[in-house]
Formats: sequence, structure tokens, C-alpha cells
Amino acid sequence: MNRGNRILLSCVYWAFVLYVFVPLFLMILMGFKDSKFIGFPIRSWTLDWYTGVFDDAAVPSAFVYSVGIAVLATIISVFVGTWVAVLLEGRKFVGRTAMFGLTVLPALVPGIISAIAFRIYARWLGIEPGMGAIVWAHAVHNVPFVALVVMARLSTLPKSQIEAARDLGADPVIAFMRITLPYLVPAIIGASIFCLLLSFDDFVRSFFLGGYEPTLPVLIFAKLRSGMSPEINAIATVALVLTAAIGIWAERFTRRMNKESKYD
Amino acid sequence: MSDEVAPRSSRGRGTVGKKHLTFWGALSSWTPYRVVVRLATASPRRQFLILAAFPLLWVLTQHLGPMLQMLRVSFTDAYPVAPGVEQHFTLDSYARFFGDYIFWQPFFRTLVFAGVFTFCTLILTYPVAYFLARHVSRKNQMLMLLLLLIPFWVGEIVRTYAIMILLGNTGAVNQLLKWVGLIDRPIPFMYTSFSMGVGIVYLTALYMLLPLYSALEKLPKSYNEAAADLGASAWTRFRRVTLPLTLEGISSGCTLVFLISTGFYATPVLLGGPSTTVFSETIAGFFHVAGDEWPTGAAFATIMFVAAIFITGAFQKLMNSLRKGDRN
Repeated sequence: MNRGNRILLSCVYWAFVLYVFVPLFLMILMGFKDSKFIGFPIRSWTLDWYTGVFDDAAVPSAFVYSVGIAVLATIISVFVGTWVAVLLEGRKFVGRTAMFGLTVLPALVPGIISAIAFRIYARWLGIEPGMGAIVWAHAVHNVPFVALVVMARLSTLPKSQIEAARDLGADPVIAFMRITLPYLVPAIIGASIFCLLLSFDDFVRSFFLGGYEPTLPVLIFAKLRSGMSPEINAIATVALVLTAAIGIWAERFTRRMNKESKYD
Repeated sequence: MSDEVAPRSSRGRGTVGKKHLTFWGALSSWTPYRVVVRLATASPRRQFLILAAFPLLWVLTQHLGPMLQMLRVSFTDAYPVAPGVEQHFTLDSYARFFGDYIFWQPFFRTLVFAGVFTFCTLILTYPVAYFLARHVSRKNQMLMLLLLLIPFWVGEIVRTYAIMILLGNTGAVNQLLKWVGLIDRPIPFMYTSFSMGVGIVYLTALYMLLPLYSALEKLPKSYNEAAADLGASAWTRFRRVTLPLTLEGISSGCTLVFLISTGFYATPVLLGGPSTTVFSETIAGFFHVAGDEWPTGAAFATIMFVAAIFITGAFQKLMNSLRKGDRN
């Protein structure tokens, strides 16, 4: 391969890394600025914005609310998504393609349309805007991601293991609980973390299905509309550090689980 | 448990009598459970129906249901229906869309913007994916990909805000340009289609990068080497070998990014201005005001969804025919 090409491409890669990191880095820096005015240059520094975040009761309560929604929605979507994956993977039946299409549908509908459709449907079902409605919308939206991740893992399960269990007298339920499910654990954990992050970060569904209590992204949005302030940087930085830390941890964790199960 | 317990059963949670059965062993010899399982698995057909019933019900009522209900509401004249008022079916909401250019202008703007932003994302991420898949050792590939994933775990709103700080009049870019001496007065990047584009490309880049990377990673290096042995130049090799064989990744990446870009709401609100109103803002408007504007909002959302699906479908068809054409 051409050496010049390689150097040029590696420059492109590092430029891209800068492009994705620099805005976030600048945003974090701005949270330490000792002035109400957002903009460069930063002449003096302070931690006041961070201490302020915890004095304002709205921020911690929005944070707890978002985490609660994310956890509940994730439990539902992992349960449903795994079941759907078990049905779809390695089975041939009439309408399988249609079933697969319907399964991934919520992931393909553009955000605003999905939010509107959920809003109308929630009204029809009689679900009031609020926590229940948000949990439901997030759960439905995340099912496709769980199903795809679990299906990918399931396709690598050696069929002989199930057959051996059946030969030794296990009924299909026991074979599933003792062979299939333990094998799926890394995929299920990976998908759960992904769902938690998707739900925690989601704005458009939370915005249209929410009641008076805002989730963290909705709160940040509302504050942004009334003007930029380093206070928002402090809130956003806390959210950013948490999501990125969970993401990195999950990535390492699933990698390790996958490696271990290879040597089983 | 006593010391005589076999190691196998010590892993079980319960023991039954003196047989030291595992939890699962106990369960499978429990009569009610056995009856239920035997009934459920009496025939492969029944077993399949029991397995399929819940997922089928779920996707029909939860995945398809909201879309169908939205479609139905779009044909009504009032929703939610006030008590004592009769609901009529009408095409008025659709007629309203075509009747006024303040509606279809943002609609076409959204489609054009989404197309342009998708193309920009493709141009930006293809070299990155190419570099990762072709020029980096296997071990470093995962690390370098992971590095790019970190910012994408951060939410939409936070990343949009980061772009606002980057591009503002006293933002990093303007300050840098001023410091270098290229400009005296800040360039008003914000609240234009440019700032919106930067924001949306920033938010969607990953959805393009991953399909491209997996397509490029699957492509055997020997193809390129063979082409080189036959005397093809670097550009010819890229145009005749790499590009046609990664069309599938390009096609799925572009589809995904196009669909996602049409659906952004917060980003255009925060980064765009009055001259860049997109259709999602128009749609959202019908749900903020009190009154019976919901059917219009539903109709507009339906129009947008149909248009987006139609465009991505046509695009995929085009890509497929390109792929087939190249094989002949």
C-alpha cells in the first residue's frame, strides 16, 4: 500500500477525532468560566457553577427521574426484545420477513414522527403524559436494538449444546433457561446498557410525552431556550461524564464477557 | 448443606428431600410444571404458537399500532374528540398541506437538507472508515473505533449545545479566526443552515461510520492486490474494486442517516433560524397549541414518513441496480 496515502488517511482520522472531541471539550471548559457570559477567551476560573447545580433542586430531581425512566424502559425492552429474538433467530416460518420488518420498525421511524405517533396512541389508550407514557415510548423504541443484538449472539450458539441438553432429558423450557439464556447474558447486558443510554439521552419522545416534570435532556433544552449560561455547561458536563463512563465500562465489560465465553 | 453434597447439586439453589436435586431438577420433577410443559410442547406447532403469540401481539399493537392510529387520526376532522361531537372522516388535513407554501416549503427544505447532510456525512466518514479497516492493525482497530464511539454516547441535546458554543459569535471558531487575523468581525455562523448542518452531521456521523466500517472490513485485501498486479492505479482500484464492493454499506449508512436527519427536532430549533424552519418544527407546532390541530399534525407526519420511506426505498433500489450492473 502507498505510504503517502496512509499518512494522509491517518491525518483524516485524527482530524475526525478532533472534530468529535473538541466541541465537547470546549463545552466542558466553559463550565469553569468565572462569568455569566458564554464565549472565549476565558480569563478567570471558578467551580461555582458546579456547586450551584446541586443547590438547584430541579437538576438532581430531573436526573433521578431520567434514571428511573431509563431503568424501567430497559427492563421492558430487554424482556420483549429477547423474546422476539428467540422467535426470529434460526427459525423459518411464514411471515418471518414481515415479523422482522415490524420488529425493526420503531428504530427506523424518524424521531419526530415516532414521538407524534406515540403521543396520539397514548391519548387513544388513555395514558396521561408523564412517567408512564415516557417509559412506554422508550421501551417500544428500544426493542429493535435489543432484538438485533440478541439475535446476533444467538446465531453463534452451537445447536449441539441444546440437542445434548434435550438428549439428557431437559424439556425445552429447562434447555432454554440453562443453556440458551446463560449464553445470551453478554448480549443482554450489552443491550441493556445501550438501552439505558438511549433512554437517558432521548429528548424528542420525552419532550412530547412528558408531563410537568422534565427529564434531564428536556430540562437542559428548556434552560437553553431561555439563554446560554455556564450553569448549563456544568449540568451537561455531569451528564456527559456519566454517560461516557457507563458507555466505556459497558464496552470493556461486554468485550471481556465475549472473550471468556469463547474459552468455555 | 452437608459435606456429602455432590459439587453439582451445591450449585443449585434448592434441594428436595434427600436426593439433593438442583433447583432445575426439582422444578422438572414437580408435577404441575411437568403437566404444563407437556401440554405446551405436545406438538412442534403448539410450541411455536406459544412462543410466537406474545411477540406477534407486541409488534402489532406496539410497533404498528401507533403508526396506524396516526394514519387514522390524520383522516379525521377532530382529535381528541370532544364529548357530544361527532367525528367525521375528511381529507382536509392533506389538502391543507398542498394549499399553503408555508407548509410545503419547510417540507422540501427538510428533504433537501437531509439529502445534503447525508452526503456530507458520507464524504466525511468514508476516509475514516477506510483508514480504520485497511491501514490499522486488528488490535488497534477496536481501540481506535472505541475512541470514536465515546462522544456518541453523549446525548443529542448536550452535543447540540457543544456545537452552539463552538460556532457562536464569541465561539471558538470565530475567536480562532480573529486571533489568526483572517477576520475582524465574527462570522455569524449560528442560526443558519450551516450551523444546522454541522450539528446534524456531528450527531449522525456514527450511524454512517459503522456500516461503512463493517463493509470495508469484510472486503478481502487480496482483491485490491490482484487489481494492483493487473496494473490498476490507486484511483482505479478504489473506483472499480473498493467502491462497488462497499455499496451495500454506503446504502445502509445513507438510509439510516437520511431517516434520522429528517426526524431531528431539538437540533434545528436550537441551531437553526427563522429561514431554516424544518418540517419537524411545523409538525410539532400542531401539538403545542390548544385546539383540534392534532389531525393536521398527524397528516403532516404521515406525509413526511411516506416521503422519507419512498426516497430511501428508491435510493436502495438504485444502489442495488448499481451493484448488479457492476457484476455483469
